[in-house]
Amino acid sequence: MNPALTINNLSVEAQDTLLLDIFSLNIPSGEKVTIAGQSGSGKSTLLRCIMGFMLPSSGTIEIFGERLDADTVWRLRGKMAYVAQEPELGEGIVRDALQHPFTYKINRGTAYSESKAVELFERFQLNASFLEKDICSLSGGEKQRIALVIALSLERPLLLLDEAASALDSTSKKAVREYLCQCDALTILSVSHDIRDFSLSESIVTLPSAGKGVVT
Amino acid sequence: MNATDITFAQLLAGYSLLLFPMGFFLWYGVSLIHETLVSILRMTVQLLFVGFYLQLVFQWNNPWINFIWIAVMVAVADASIVRNCGLRIRLFVFPLAAALFAGVLIPLLIFLLVIIRPDPVLDARYVIPIAGMILGNCLRADIVGIKGFYEGIARREKIYLAALSAGATLQEACLSFMREALEAALRPTIATMATIGIVSLPGMMTGVILGGANPMTAIKYQIAIMLAIFSGTAITVVLAIFLTMRRCFTPYGILDKDVFQKK
Repeated sequence: MNPALTINNLSVEAQDTLLLDIFSLNIPSGEKVTIAGQSGSGKSTLLRCIMGFMLPSSGTIEIFGERLDADTVWRLRGKMAYVAQEPELGEGIVRDALQHPFTYKINRGTAYSESKAVELFERFQLNASFLEKDICSLSGGEKQRIALVIALSLERPLLLLDEAASALDSTSKKAVREYLCQCDALTILSVSHDIRDFSLSESIVTLPSAGKGVVT
Repeated sequence: MNATDITFAQLLAGYSLLLFPMGFFLWYGVSLIHETLVSILRMTVQLLFVGFYLQLVFQWNNPWINFIWIAVMVAVADASIVRNCGLRIRLFVFPLAAALFAGVLIPLLIFLLVIIRPDPVLDARYVIPIAGMILGNCLRADIVGIKGFYEGIARREKIYLAALSAGATLQEACLSFMREALEAALRPTIATMATIGIVSLPGMMTGVILGGANPMTAIKYQIAIMLAIFSGTAITVVLAIFLTMRRCFTPYGILDKDVFQKK
């Protein structure tokens, strides 16, 4: 079986600055990996490269055995879900934000289930009344949990979390961690500047400030 | 009946109207005197040249010459839009020219072939002013729409990337920005249509009345030209965005930052 994610000698440069230097990583399907590192060590850059938002200067990325390039990126984005540190949910009420991704052609095979969304809300210490809330009135922590519910609703096999629990209180953080850890089939790559704060497994990769990966 | 001609001596007397703004500028120390004089000189020279050329174009009344005249107007409008949008000329100049041609020619042909039906149908007296009015009025709206689309994506990149990460195609991710661009471009024309005739007498209507037509004919012309302007603006904005999208986004769907001129 192909690994969920394979990164080979990835280097990223932008405006003559080295953001990530010869980084390699292999994540088998279903594993949860946390990448730790200080601010500026290239954690978010790595996730942006995996999503195809940034181009590496060298190296390759494979997702479920398929190499990420300009032709495959559109299909491969359909296998990943990404939760940003400060998620942008658009305008309107929370229900709109939950339903909107299901209007995209690639997601039409997956039906939007409000009962599933509400179940996840409750797991993450939110209640069903949040569906009617105006997105503008949400706190950072609420936005993070709702973005996570959207990502999980899409039923993608690979989940990328960029400091996705940074604004959560300890109870919500615990609830999110427990839920994600029990999703056996789901591969998760989570980045965090502080692994004591939010880590999903023993599998931790530390990025030094130079951006060169060391597997611990 | 034709409009009463103005002699050059009479026109010169018209410049006396400048005494009021210039007097105010002097009195209040507004530093616009030099700029005003340059602008007025430019306006006078440009319009005299255009008047001279148009006299010839109307005399020749040749469809090909009319087309070349429209092409020149489109080229000038094209350069003006790209410069005012702060966008890279090499990326926009040709797709925008194609969009402007479509945005002018489609409403113009419907105006001539379906609404007015002059004989000959491509009479310079109709083709040139109507094309000029459509293009001139589209210009501002096109700047608002095209600039709004690209700046909107650059400014709210997070929303755009969130759509891509949820699996949106380029068109799907751009949809809300396209919607906003069209709204911003067309809203002023919609507002103008709602108040036209009450707040002000529009240019074309005034021209037709001065040309000796009765007010009802002038109103019909004005309604038709407003519809042509509205339609031309919508066609130009949508086509310009659609035709430039391929060049302005990377194959990964990310907006190329080189789209904007360096400040």
